[in-house]
Amino acid sequence: MMCRFVCWPRIVAKAGLLGLFFVFSLAGQAQDDGFKAVPILTGSTAYFTRVTAGQYQDAPSVSPLLLLPLGDKWLIEAKGSYSDTFTKNAQGDYNGTISYGMTYGQIDYIANRYMTLVAGRFTTPFNIYGERLAPNWVRALQTSPLTSPVTSGSALGGMVRGGFPTTDSLNLTYALYFSSNNTHHLLATDRSTGGRIGFFLPHQRLEIGASFQQVLQADRPHSSGIFFEWQSDHAPVTVRSEYARSSGTKGSGYWIESVYRLSQISALRRLELVGRGEQFFVASNLSAATIKKLGALGKDTNEADFGMNYYLRSDVRASASYGRQFVLGKNANLWTIGMTYRFVMPMLPQGGAR
Amino acid sequence: MKMRFVLAAFFVAGAMSLAMASSAGTGGSKDAPKDTAAAAAAPAGQADNLAAQKENMHLEGERRFRSNCARCHAAPPKFPPRMMATIVRHMRVRAAITDQDMRLILRYMTE
Repeated sequence: MMCRFVCWPRIVAKAGLLGLFFVFSLAGQAQDDGFKAVPILTGSTAYFTRVTAGQYQDAPSVSPLLLLPLGDKWLIEAKGSYSDTFTKNAQGDYNGTISYGMTYGQIDYIANRYMTLVAGRFTTPFNIYGERLAPNWVRALQTSPLTSPVTSGSALGGMVRGGFPTTDSLNLTYALYFSSNNTHHLLATDRSTGGRIGFFLPHQRLEIGASFQQVLQADRPHSSGIFFEWQSDHAPVTVRSEYARSSGTKGSGYWIESVYRLSQISALRRLELVGRGEQFFVASNLSAATIKKLGALGKDTNEADFGMNYYLRSDVRASASYGRQFVLGKNANLWTIGMTYRFVMPMLPQGGAR
Repeated sequence: MKMRFVLAAFFVAGAMSLAMASSAGTGGSKDAPKDTAAAAAAPAGQADNLAAQKENMHLEGERRFRSNCARCHAAPPKFPPRMMATIVRHMRVRAAITDQDMRLILRYMTE
């Protein structure tokens, strides 16, 4: 009787090894794209001036991303970030605050056409903002959604992910991960697990999906979320939205964003208009001390943002936005203006050769 | 401890089922670009057909690019093929692009 409980971890371990062997044995079907991939250095730089409730900030930043392919199936990705935020104090002087860190450092193994195995530090696969829309050269508005603390984060561990067509008109995407606890001040992660599943209709250009995350330490809060993204086939408009809810102290909320590229007007074809509305609901069981600690996220908040992006080139963009934040007893105006530049360069001199 | 075991079993079961699904799906090789086989079978005089097929592949690649990539960001310039291979591999992982879409997009972006 005892053996049934004592032995089964070994059985799970053996099954795990067998499963991994099975997965790796299918590696012959992995990516073979016909070109020998070369290491590249890419990423973005940005300079933004922000005025938040009358408080001026200037923030130059750089986010380099090293992509190092190994053979046809492996890819090492390492992304760092560095920014220096200058804040104007009451005397009119600027004080600088440096922040830096590693956004992710992961190794990917394309096991087969349906599955990629990821190990290392990676962005938590929760909804779509953190993984896809967060880079400042991608995001349509430079202000992050109020639900960012729920939907964004990093993990240290392993992940299985991929996407494959189930029919001609439906692709299934998935990600499952496990993260260990790490207390390093720059690379802190929680012990957690979770995943995301998405359904992408390529003809309708519509993706809908759901995410779940369970923290396995401290108060063991869980989070869940849903998202959708749709792009019209008849007009250059994109609509995307996320909803996220946490059982812990992070509250819940949603945002919906619309992006319209004026490509149908030749004189304005480089201009993009953006609008976003969002609501954030603070967790109901917070103590006064926790509310104070959470700051802006300690109260229910409504926010509306409007912005524009002008593409000087495909990789250079000027952006400006205005937002109004409605918080009980403390409404605020949010202004941003600045530029982003996305760079891509080969790490080998023969990068352009076939 | 029990939670750890349940999670381990969950991952193992997931990996096994996906691996089996992939091995079952490879027989038909429906995801492989079809022009290679067609090119081998075509007589020399059917150059027009090949040109039409190439055009179709181009249009299909553009469609996949628009539906997968342009949802999130503006179209980048076309980089050299070996750089593009790295970028597409990165985006395959990050945006969960299917193998078939990745191949068509890479082809489209390197033509």
